[in-house]
Amino acid sequence: MKRIEALTTIVARTTELPVVATCAATSRELASVADTDNHLYLLDAMGLAVSVATGLAQVLAGSSLDRAVCVEGDGSLLMNLGAAATAGYLAPDNLVIVLLDNGVYASTAGIPTQAARLDLGAIAESVGLAVLRVDDQVGLDAALATALQQPGPWFIHARTEPGNVAGTPLLLIDPVSHGDRFRRWVTERAAA
Amino acid sequence: MTTTEKTLTQQRHETVVEAILALDPAGIAYVPSASIAGIINGLVDVATDAMPVFPVSREEEAVGIVGAYPLAGKFGVIVMQDNGFGNSLTALTTFAVSYHLPLLIVANTRGGLGEYNSMIHSISAPVPELLRAASIPVFSLDRRNDLEDWHATVVEAGKHAQMTFRPVVVLMEFFDHRDAKARA
Repeated sequence: MKRIEALTTIVARTTELPVVATCAATSRELASVADTDNHLYLLDAMGLAVSVATGLAQVLAGSSLDRAVCVEGDGSLLMNLGAAATAGYLAPDNLVIVLLDNGVYASTAGIPTQAARLDLGAIAESVGLAVLRVDDQVGLDAALATALQQPGPWFIHARTEPGNVAGTPLLLIDPVSHGDRFRRWVTERAAA
Repeated sequence: MTTTEKTLTQQRHETVVEAILALDPAGIAYVPSASIAGIINGLVDVATDAMPVFPVSREEEAVGIVGAYPLAGKFGVIVMQDNGFGNSLTALTTFAVSYHLPLLIVANTRGGLGEYNSMIHSISAPVPELLRAASIPVFSLDRRNDLEDWHATVVEAGKHAQMTFRPVVVLMEFFDHRDAKARA
């Protein structure tokens, strides 16, 4: 499964949920699939996606937005592995982490990450996250269907191929207006 | 122990707890320090589902979690010590500062008067300049401020963060020659 295929599957399942995406190529490709108000692109906040989604899950608990979705990469997760431990510790049952694990830092010349030898799904299991393992779009769609209905916190370990979609535009956006777009979308729906 | 028998440090800890609670935070993340154990324990004692008080393994995590609260219209607080700002600068600048996300950080200072560790000043001493260089406001409290001022400064710093849409830091130095147990 290519990353863009995984993102296409995620977008189809999360049109009415807040989605936090890790920086660089993942956010750019997500925006190329659908640049919608429920997406928050962390343009340069390395390793922060799981933490941000965990915070959102905390404050959205009990609201009409019943999930906070995180799209993370293996390299980014490894930059802040403690975030997974804290997610497991806090255990928000409305948190869905989708790890797109291609084993490389695809945004920085495809240099291998430690995920080439480590099982990040096993690490997630060890900190109390409910892990689903997938390697194709059908499996990912089924895993999302489960994670969006059953209590979590979930960690969908999705294996993807290395590489980026050539020619994907840069996200040349103002983070203030982008964050405000997301905030308005979240607060209007959470209050509904 | 009655109020009048409490040490100056204990009174300051209680005052900071009261000030943080006055801000009605949606959650409080902490990274531990012996110097502010009284603050952390005081907050943990009153934690609720609506106001969780929880540990994180590293300061940047706290910035990510608590920094996300304003994206849902909420506000949060981080309690830490100042040597952790080195861990959190990238998260503070690329997330909280860049996206205009208010949050309050109350941090005890290390490396100054009363310090017993021989190298921590290397990160702690330049923290105010590092933060200000990153456009993060810093307000300071120490033995020369009375309790009323400690309370007012923490509360107003929290309001300032929300008014100006950015992270705001209160640095607290607990050294006091009148309190034998006061620690950096």
